[in-house]
Amino acid sequence: MLELDGLAKRFDGQSGRALFSHVSLRLAPGECVAIMGESGVGKSTLLNCIAGLEAVDAGSIRLDGTELVALDDDAFARLRRRSYGFVFQAFHLLPHLTLAQNVALPLWLLDCAAAEAQQRATTMLAQVGLADRADDWPRHLSGGEMQRVAIARALVHRPTLVLADEPTGNLDAERAADVLELLLGSLRSAGAIGILVTHSRAAAARTDRVLRLTATGLAEEAAAA
Amino acid sequence: MRAYIAAALLWLASGVSAAPQAQTGSGSNDARDPPGYPPVVAGRALQFPADHGAHPDYRTEWWYVTGWVTDEDGVERGFQVTFFRVRTRIGEDSPSRFAPRQLILAHAAVADPAEGRLLHAERGERALDPLAGAATGHTRAWIGNWALEWSQDHYRAIVDADDFAYDLRFDPAGPPLSNGQDGFSQKAPDPQHASYYYSRPQLGVSGSLRVRDKTHRVTGRAWLDHEWSSAYLPEKARGWDWIGINLSDGGALMAFRMRTATGEATWTAGTLRRGDGAPRALAPAQVAFIPGRRWRSPRTGTEYPVEWQLDIDGRRLALQPLMDDQELDSRGTTGAVYWEGAVRLVEDGREIGRGYLEMTGYGERLKM
Amino acid sequence: MNAGLRHVFLASLARRRLATALSLLAIALGVALGLAVQLIHGAALDEFGRGMRLVAGEADLQVMGPRTGFDDALYVVLAQRPEVADASPILEVEASLPQRDDILRVFGVDALRVRRVQPALMPVPEGEAGGEFGIFAADAVFLSPAAQAALALGEDTDVGTGGTLAVLAGPREEHLRILGSVPGAGRGQRLAVMDIAAAQQLFDQVGRITRIDLRLAQGVDRDAAIERLRPLLPAGVELLAPEAAASQVAGLSRAYRVNLTMLAAIALLTGGFLVFSTQLLSVVRRRQELAFLRALGLDRRTLLRGLLAEGAVLGLVGGLVGVALGYVLSGLAFSIVGADLGAGYFEGVEPGLRFEPLATAAYLVLGVAAGVGGAWLPAREASRVAPARALRAGDDVEVWRARPRWSAALASLGLALLLCLLPPLGGVPVFGYAAIALILVGSVLVLPAVVRLAMRCVGGVGSVGGGRSVLLRLAHARLAAAPGQVLVAGAGVVASVALAAAMAIMVSSFRTSVDDWLSDVLPADLYLRASSSGTSAFLTPEVIAGVAATPGVSSVQPVRYDTLRLDEAQFPVTLIARPVAEGAAVPLVEGDAESVRGADGLPPAWVSEAMADLFRVAVGDTLSLPLGGAPHRFRVAGVWRDYARQHGAVLVELADYRALTNDSRSNNVAIRVAPGVQAEAVAAALQAQFDGRNFELAAPGDIRSKTLAVFDRTFLVTYLMEAVAILIGLFGVSTSFAALATARRKEFGMLRHLGLTRRDIGRLLALEGALGAAVGVAVGLAAGGAVALVLVEVVNRQSFHWSMDIRVPLAALAAFAVALVLLAAVAARLSGYQAMRQAAVLAVREDF
Repeated sequence: MLELDGLAKRFDGQSGRALFSHVSLRLAPGECVAIMGESGVGKSTLLNCIAGLEAVDAGSIRLDGTELVALDDDAFARLRRRSYGFVFQAFHLLPHLTLAQNVALPLWLLDCAAAEAQQRATTMLAQVGLADRADDWPRHLSGGEMQRVAIARALVHRPTLVLADEPTGNLDAERAADVLELLLGSLRSAGAIGILVTHSRAAAARTDRVLRLTATGLAEEAAAA
Repeated sequence: MRAYIAAALLWLASGVSAAPQAQTGSGSNDARDPPGYPPVVAGRALQFPADHGAHPDYRTEWWYVTGWVTDEDGVERGFQVTFFRVRTRIGEDSPSRFAPRQLILAHAAVADPAEGRLLHAERGERALDPLAGAATGHTRAWIGNWALEWSQDHYRAIVDADDFAYDLRFDPAGPPLSNGQDGFSQKAPDPQHASYYYSRPQLGVSGSLRVRDKTHRVTGRAWLDHEWSSAYLPEKARGWDWIGINLSDGGALMAFRMRTATGEATWTAGTLRRGDGAPRALAPAQVAFIPGRRWRSPRTGTEYPVEWQLDIDGRRLALQPLMDDQELDSRGTTGAVYWEGAVRLVEDGREIGRGYLEMTGYGERLKM
Repeated sequence: MNAGLRHVFLASLARRRLATALSLLAIALGVALGLAVQLIHGAALDEFGRGMRLVAGEADLQVMGPRTGFDDALYVVLAQRPEVADASPILEVEASLPQRDDILRVFGVDALRVRRVQPALMPVPEGEAGGEFGIFAADAVFLSPAAQAALALGEDTDVGTGGTLAVLAGPREEHLRILGSVPGAGRGQRLAVMDIAAAQQLFDQVGRITRIDLRLAQGVDRDAAIERLRPLLPAGVELLAPEAAASQVAGLSRAYRVNLTMLAAIALLTGGFLVFSTQLLSVVRRRQELAFLRALGLDRRTLLRGLLAEGAVLGLVGGLVGVALGYVLSGLAFSIVGADLGAGYFEGVEPGLRFEPLATAAYLVLGVAAGVGGAWLPAREASRVAPARALRAGDDVEVWRARPRWSAALASLGLALLLCLLPPLGGVPVFGYAAIALILVGSVLVLPAVVRLAMRCVGGVGSVGGGRSVLLRLAHARLAAAPGQVLVAGAGVVASVALAAAMAIMVSSFRTSVDDWLSDVLPADLYLRASSSGTSAFLTPEVIAGVAATPGVSSVQPVRYDTLRLDEAQFPVTLIARPVAEGAAVPLVEGDAESVRGADGLPPAWVSEAMADLFRVAVGDTLSLPLGGAPHRFRVAGVWRDYARQHGAVLVELADYRALTNDSRSNNVAIRVAPGVQAEAVAAALQAQFDGRNFELAAPGDIRSKTLAVFDRTFLVTYLMEAVAILIGLFGVSTSFAALATARRKEFGMLRHLGLTRRDIGRLLALEGALGAAVGVAVGLAAGGAVALVLVEVVNRQSFHWSMDIRVPLAALAAFAVALVLLAAVAARLSGYQAMRQAAVLAVREDF
């Protein structure tokens, strides 16, 4: 359960102009939402705040009942290791790691034994349709394939929460649909909470709920809209 | 009379002009009481041939030959060669072959009117047999291949410099001519300042003379002086004027004048021999030098009387130079500057002899 | 290139200020060191050459003999020869001065002759003190301005004109009147002039001179004159052209000079590596920017030129700074350590700093060359990349996939081995230095392969453990996939570590060998010598007898030194005559010290390694030594090690020497103390006995510590240059990591998303730095060992003709290696600091 309550963020800390405020949200496990909004309204900043990569100026963030706003940098880093998964628009695979190693990276961080990490990564790769490419290098992949690997990396350690920032922004329409299908399907089967920031209405439409971020808060849009 | 040059040549070694040393007059103190050198005294008769050779105990000694020569084309030139010997009283008991007990210095010049000025060269060495020395018993002084020596019946002078060279034979026409009282030549009223001095006038010259690249057969007449002393230049004297003239009648005239800074004579003397007659010593009253036309050196700015009137034994004579510029300017090497040149002796407009005139001390005082 | 484009390229230098500054500094340091060595030795050599010319003056030929001189009758003979226009005899004595360590060169001259041949040595009287014959006076001396200045230091006596100068003549102390100066000697020459007869008598050298300078008669050919005059010379006396004498001295210090120049060249090379690193990184970082320029229509050549211009500007500015620094360093060196950089080659010479346009220009060009050379490969790489591909984001690993170049590496190492077998060129071990360069190149080429190998090992370790090993795994994966990164960061490290390790091994071997050698050559309990140096002082047989009769002395071994001219082309060798068979041991490397005469009845002689090399003599050969003016044959009984005289030395039995020369003097005497007697007590007794005689007593310990102090001073400069090379190497690590960290901001941002703490990122960087440096250091140490071997067995052997036993300072090298790896880790972490900042986290979003 992720609970956001009255989150506010200003441009230069306490004194600056408000970017957004009164952001509240409650998400149950397995639930997946899309956040839309004008450019510059702070969608990515909101994700960073949730991930503890940027500090909030007011409000609270609770994950499974634990208050996160008070956590220090290192504690949040340890929390991210265990409970967060990320999917980026630009994939961000490490070019000097194989696909399996890239996927195993979160497991390594959790002190998982090398063999087990390798095995779980391979399984995960198979789930995203890249079963036979475990030892291949990122530079040999297409954009869609790279994002599949990134999805595998985001889910391999069974996180509570997956944050995806424009996961299809770098892909053409057909690949985007495939990748989105894979991401949402995987999230649901893993029972993880998913937050998707996107510009694409089509993509947003496939989530459970579509929320619009404005300076004054998050408002629900009609799914059909 | 060449002692001046000896002093100058000594400084050849140091590269410093003799002039600064001369200012203090330390030389004249030496002259009053020359320590460790035998004095020159009257009454010592010259002994030949022994006195032709060197007298190494005395402080300074020189053999000096000047003369006029005519080449195969009738061109007339003057020449001069001098060998000096100086006893330093340094290293007299040193076992080193280089011990500088005696210094030998040589000076040679040629006066060629076509050159317009003197060609000259000099050498200086410590006496070191067989490289340089002055022999006793007979005339022989040499530095390397420069030499003046007596053999059998004649003298021979060999000089080889960059601009000129000569190899001349001198045949004496008669016995040596003793100056002063039987060779005791007083230089000042005080007889301490004196030398032993004889001349060999009317030497018949024959040999070769090279000027630059051209060598000539020459003949002519020359004059040799041999003089040694321990104390020479009187205190007040600034320089001297001297002549040695071979008279056309076979006679000879030597005369000199010691001069103060203001040009007054402190002492004059001379020797005159007419034709084949007997030589006569001239007392100070019988010799007077009266300067005539002056010539200013473009190099040193020094003025020399290059023409003279001479009152000798009641006769009025005149001196005319072979050329005006016979100044010897060796400031680049020895620092010595004086006039030494070929002159004609004229009486009543008629040439009666030829020889050399030396004028010293017109620039700076001499050190003796 | 137009102004706009110029801006695109050169502005890039201004943007990466740290990297630019470090590259500049590296080039500046290389240029400065090289130029300084050149300037200092150039000035010293010039002054030394001037000294030789000055002393030779206008001489066409010089007649030279052993240090103790030859019979002056030769002068009389030569002066009369028709080929000779002027001959000037000289008795040169290295006079010892009481209560002073230095010596004064005293020239006994004939003032009337020296003027025509060596006018610069003319003594000039000042004032009236000397009288008109002062220059000939037996107690007169004339000092050059430099000698006056040097003697005035720390003295209360007046050394100006009118003062007195005390010199040691044999066992006596003599006082000379200073009557003037030797102005022609110039400012740099410390010397004194006196009359030759006076000098002969004063220094007890009557009948002897050391040199005759000849001016030949007009039209006489020098070779013809040599041919006609040589038969007149006694054995051991040679006719030399003055240039030959000067070049012998230049040759003596050349090897040392070349060694230092090589070190400077390596510093410059390391600077070039650094430019390479920073330019490569810059090109990588600007991959998209450059691709974009290409897409806009910038042609390949212009791009290449632009990037090379960046390197050239770095080189030029670095070179200019270096030139300025070089002059400052030289000025400091002149005032602090002296012109020979402490090596003792130029005694009695005081050169001044001068502007050297040629050397300055040459080093400036070298600086630019280092900049352009360093920029060349990255520029070529950048200009060859297909723009479309480079425009795609990420993917910088492509650049770092350096391929191992086994064949090139093996070829250069093999060639290095072959070059070591070649003889020196003109006394300089050119091929040895080429081999060292090839070893460095080979070791850099082999680096990528070694990185792979090393990563395989590290990977094995990393896969076992869990926990923090994720950092190790990440670092390992990065370095294994991108060995080029190690190449860039490590090339400088390899070169500088190789250099430092090689020098460390060489110096340690050298020092240990010198130390052992000193024990061998200083076996006695006490040494008494006439004076610290110079030829003017000596011990008479009576003194030796007095020493032997001192209570507590069990035995004495007198030693006599001289120099011998064996060959007009070579510097004279040192002759050492001492009891060998019953005396001290000889540090033999070959042969034996048995002093028995062979069947041929020839006396034995032992030659130093240098002499064996220079004169090509071996054990069993006969050797002709000119002793006492006549040649005498000896049998070579052994070869010994001598670190003191690189021009060669020969040792003979004192009894043989005395029989052949009738010279019963000695220079020093080794004293053994009877068992149970304190050396200090004997020393005190000797002090009392010879009170006021200016003898020096030394214990072997003092001599050893003084010698080692000189040794350490000699190598001081090399330590300095090593430190600079290391510094430059660390710059390389630092700049490459700074640039890489910037290039990898997104990677680090992603890792922060995945839950790495800031400290973890720092550790990752440190780990990568340490791993890269460790590989560089390991390769550098291996290369350094090889270079040390070349230095010891080829360079030293060929330059100085001495051998040494290799000693590897293991502890020091290990400490050095660990320190360097740690420093590299720190440098990498500090340089990557900006990658750990919060803002970096956001870099993942900066794609558009």
